[in-house]
Amino acid sequence: MRDIRLRTGTAMLLSITAFFSIVGAAAALFWWLIFTPNIRLVRKNRLVLPSLILVGFFSIALELTGGDGGSYFFRMLVVILIASWLLAGQVRGEFLDLGCWLLGPRHGFELGLLAEMALQNLDTLLTDFDRIRAAERMKGIRSGLKSIVPAGRILLHGALKRAEDTAELLAVRGYVHGGTWVPEFKEGPLDIPAAFFAICAAFISLLPVSALFILY
Amino acid sequence: MKLVLDHAGVRRGPWSLSANGTFTNGVHLISGDVGSGKSTLAQIMIGLLPDSTGTVEKEAIRAEMISFQFPEYHITGTTVREECESWGLDPFPLLATIGLSQKHTEDPLRLSRGELKRLHLACILSRNYDLLILDEPFSSLDVFEKQRICAILSGKTDGITILFTHEQSVFPRSDYIWEIQDGQLHLCGSPPECLARWEHAPPVIKALIERGKTPENISQEDLEAAACAI
Repeated sequence: MRDIRLRTGTAMLLSITAFFSIVGAAAALFWWLIFTPNIRLVRKNRLVLPSLILVGFFSIALELTGGDGGSYFFRMLVVILIASWLLAGQVRGEFLDLGCWLLGPRHGFELGLLAEMALQNLDTLLTDFDRIRAAERMKGIRSGLKSIVPAGRILLHGALKRAEDTAELLAVRGYVHGGTWVPEFKEGPLDIPAAFFAICAAFISLLPVSALFILY
Repeated sequence: MKLVLDHAGVRRGPWSLSANGTFTNGVHLISGDVGSGKSTLAQIMIGLLPDSTGTVEKEAIRAEMISFQFPEYHITGTTVREECESWGLDPFPLLATIGLSQKHTEDPLRLSRGELKRLHLACILSRNYDLLILDEPFSSLDVFEKQRICAILSGKTDGITILFTHEQSVFPRSDYIWEIQDGQLHLCGSPPECLARWEHAPPVIKALIERGKTPENISQEDLEAAACAI
């Protein structure tokens, strides 16, 4: 799906659908399997597995404290898969297009700029994390809590420092708020059908189970 | 003890890097323009680039270390003292040599980039490695500190030390000079014979050669000795 408006809208709709019910999550998963490169996305995105481990940890805690950890894990799994699809197709400048189209040159521009900077930072964080892990391994520090804490500290410090530098740079260049940006959108052949079936998936999740199956 | 590169390299779109060569005991200086692939080659040598091609063979190398250009990546301690200890070093004598004794309780991330680089290099150079790769070790350092580091490196007799730098003023005594040009690693040779062939030689060395006073090596002392002979 190339049109960022349809991609973001579809991702939001499917995430909400998946989060609110098991049926919705199953429908969204079905959609993800058909309309995305599915498993290839998971292999390509290095954030999927750590995110699932984190969700798995909370799901176990929920299950142990009397909640429905299994359901939570499944719903969150689908939300993460949808997010990985949304980010995999990202092209630089797209969120600026979306922001300006949606909310205009002031608030839209600012939100778009924020999203672009956040995504850019995500790539930098992954590169930094690789370097930190390599340096730790050579220092003889094995993977685990002992290695994650210093790595997290350095990543956080780096991200804050970069944010400060960017803010100063924008201020020095005279940025106050908003800006002019002419949004441009490209459409892929499957954009409309994929968006249509995402709406269908959301609709199915709203139907009571008895409307679909004959229950005894 | 040796490091052998056989068509080791990487391709990224129209840009590519390829390296052949054997690195034996001694100090190897690899020069090249900014963006020529020095940091990339450093990572290939240490085995940190999964998408690299060719082979990197290490013979009798048991302990290896890379010093990244940005010293923050190496920090694991929450204080300067802890950071020294994380390298297995006694902090106080080490901090005294680099003038950071007063800052032993400070968070390393609160040091200036120059202080952090000084601390990091002091830690790394206090240990013995069979293969030590230094990526831009002189960045963020003042001339005095560069000279101090060069003096330590010039005195190194064991192991393979490989320096990647685009520095143009201060160098350690080097056994071999290499350069990266047009995506290829070339061995210029050993000083003083190789200096005339060294494309990235700093202007001062080129000027000395033009006047018929080729320095014995590239350290500050060698350059001064050649200059005094004019």
